[in-house]
Amino acid sequence: MTVSSVPTLDSLRTRTRAVLAGLFGPEIDDLPADAPLPETLGDRYDSLGAMECVTAMEKEFGIEVDFVEHDVRYTFAQMDRIAEFVHAQLEDQAAFGGPR
Amino acid sequence: MIAHLAPHAPVGTAVTTGEADLWCTYAAVRTAAWLGRAGELPGSAATVDYLRSRRNSDGGYAWSKGMASDAWATFYCTQAMAELGAEIPKLGSTRDWLHRTWSGDAYAMLPGQAPDVWATHFSVRTMVELCHDDPPDRGRLLTWLRALQAPDGGLGWSPEHAATTASDVRACFYGVMSWRALRATDPDLALPWDGPALVRWMRDQQQAEGGFLFGPSADTSCMWATYRATAALETLGSGPAEKQRCVDWVLDRRLADGSFVRWAGYDVADVWASFCAIGSLRAMGADTERHAGPVLRRLHAMSCDGGGFTYREPDRAGDALSTAATAMMSAPEDPRQSQWRTWLAGCRLPNEGGIMYMPARGSEVRCTLWAVAAGAAGADPTAPREIANWLGELQNPDGGFGYWEGRGSDLVSTAAAVETLRLLGIPLSEALDPARLAEFVLGCRDVLGYRHVPEAPPTLRAGLQALRIRDELGQTTPGELAILLDQHRVTGGGFANEGSRMPDLLSTYEAVVTADRQRIPVDFSRLAVFLDRIGRPDGTAWTPLTPTGGGALADCLGVLLRDRIAGHRAELPALTLS
Repeated sequence: MTVSSVPTLDSLRTRTRAVLAGLFGPEIDDLPADAPLPETLGDRYDSLGAMECVTAMEKEFGIEVDFVEHDVRYTFAQMDRIAEFVHAQLEDQAAFGGPR
Repeated sequence: MIAHLAPHAPVGTAVTTGEADLWCTYAAVRTAAWLGRAGELPGSAATVDYLRSRRNSDGGYAWSKGMASDAWATFYCTQAMAELGAEIPKLGSTRDWLHRTWSGDAYAMLPGQAPDVWATHFSVRTMVELCHDDPPDRGRLLTWLRALQAPDGGLGWSPEHAATTASDVRACFYGVMSWRALRATDPDLALPWDGPALVRWMRDQQQAEGGFLFGPSADTSCMWATYRATAALETLGSGPAEKQRCVDWVLDRRLADGSFVRWAGYDVADVWASFCAIGSLRAMGADTERHAGPVLRRLHAMSCDGGGFTYREPDRAGDALSTAATAMMSAPEDPRQSQWRTWLAGCRLPNEGGIMYMPARGSEVRCTLWAVAAGAAGADPTAPREIANWLGELQNPDGGFGYWEGRGSDLVSTAAAVETLRLLGIPLSEALDPARLAEFVLGCRDVLGYRHVPEAPPTLRAGLQALRIRDELGQTTPGELAILLDQHRVTGGGFANEGSRMPDLLSTYEAVVTADRQRIPVDFSRLAVFLDRIGRPDGTAWTPLTPTGGGALADCLGVLLRDRIAGHRAELPALTLS
């Protein structure tokens, strides 16, 4: 894989929204990309819900999240941050190889 | 036999959270419902939200948010919602979860645990009264219930307890109420026990002054035993031999404002005393209406702002875990230390030598460990031996320990009992049966690892707890701990209870403690990174994903670990929670 093969940020945003809609329902479809997920989803996005989200994103994009090294709580609090994080991980994988 | 302790509320200073407690919330709601006044409780909508927030995705309910489901919490949450007239969400999945706790003969508190009569009572009632379904095998359940009767006529916590004639009025109540629930769908269902012998044994627990004991080994009549006995006797179509004396004893347990206390001489009216007093009076056909005003006023005083209830006024409702945690994370020279220890030592009340989570409740093995680790035994010279004796009586026939008397064994409680004795400096063999203890620990093990209860999935913490117990038994297996730690070490820092992905504070704490005991080095630089990641403005979180601090208990473990890294503490107490 080369850096140019990494999906665009826009396409990652779309796929991220689809993954979250699969987990939390169609209300995700109309949610602004920078909306705070813990506040919007309430109890559904507690630590277990966030864990499900992380696992689903890992599976969808073939990345691996480190719960200590990565600032997961910040990154996974908004859809746009998630997509940006995935984009960075895929770029790293493309450059250095990774878990895929 | 436990030495008689003055049954007054503990003096000293406690740490309070101001938060609701599920046990108290159920008791408050049920008491008001018995009085026909549930609609007058404050904050009903918030209380229902509080109860619903205990529901896990597996369909069961937990004592605290984030904990595993158990049968007791499931009954309390669903029953209290029903009493408040609220819709109980997704009862079908609750019924499915209860099926997972069925052992083949009766119900366990958790999937994979051995059954006991506490769990069986709660789950039979949830299944029949709320889910409107039947237990999986009524015939085998009745056979199991029948085997609870001991040679003395009373009922024990399990058939194995009954074989040792450990009868208790609480076990009688739970057994009888399980039968009552089954009879609701089969009015001709015969009593599975020798009824006259059961009634005789329960009546024999009434004391001359009118109240009841838990059983022959108890020394002080209390409201809890009196409620369990009178309600079970009523269900059997009987009553206390000295009924009026019992009614008078209950009425004598009122304070000046008309609210009830649990023991003669006790000076704080708590929610359980109200629950048990109103329950006892109802069971004996006595008037409860005239007590409704004082009891409702007391319940109002116990309501919490965020919904639910605690055992007394929220700003005065200290608990042993928060108090012990605060004492342990505070400087030894803090002038408040003696006040906290005094309060913790006062949480030992009549009949059970261990320390209670909340005063006037019931002794619990984990709370006893945390309080002893905080120095509570030093505040009372009689405490070490009485705690050891209590632990000796608490050991289940299978060799393990449950959270409290009669509850099925698990490794958390068993490790807590062993660590308590270690901290007290009392050899295991003086208090417990080491051979049976070893049998239970090995019964939780297979080729995949150690399990919290015999049939649960293997976890790091269960492995750590088992290895520490085996250390104390002189059965250390070289290399076993190092392999276990490697399996659960998280690359970024910390240790995970399952796999090696998500580290959590409790697993990391137990990993460090256990590694220290076997002199296995831990990478403190990675540990420090993990601790930084769970730091929050309001304290220490349980996991990197948790948005807020976990309160005094998490703060305590975080402080102790940081002290260990800094070399300020050479050895940490092996604190267990779940």
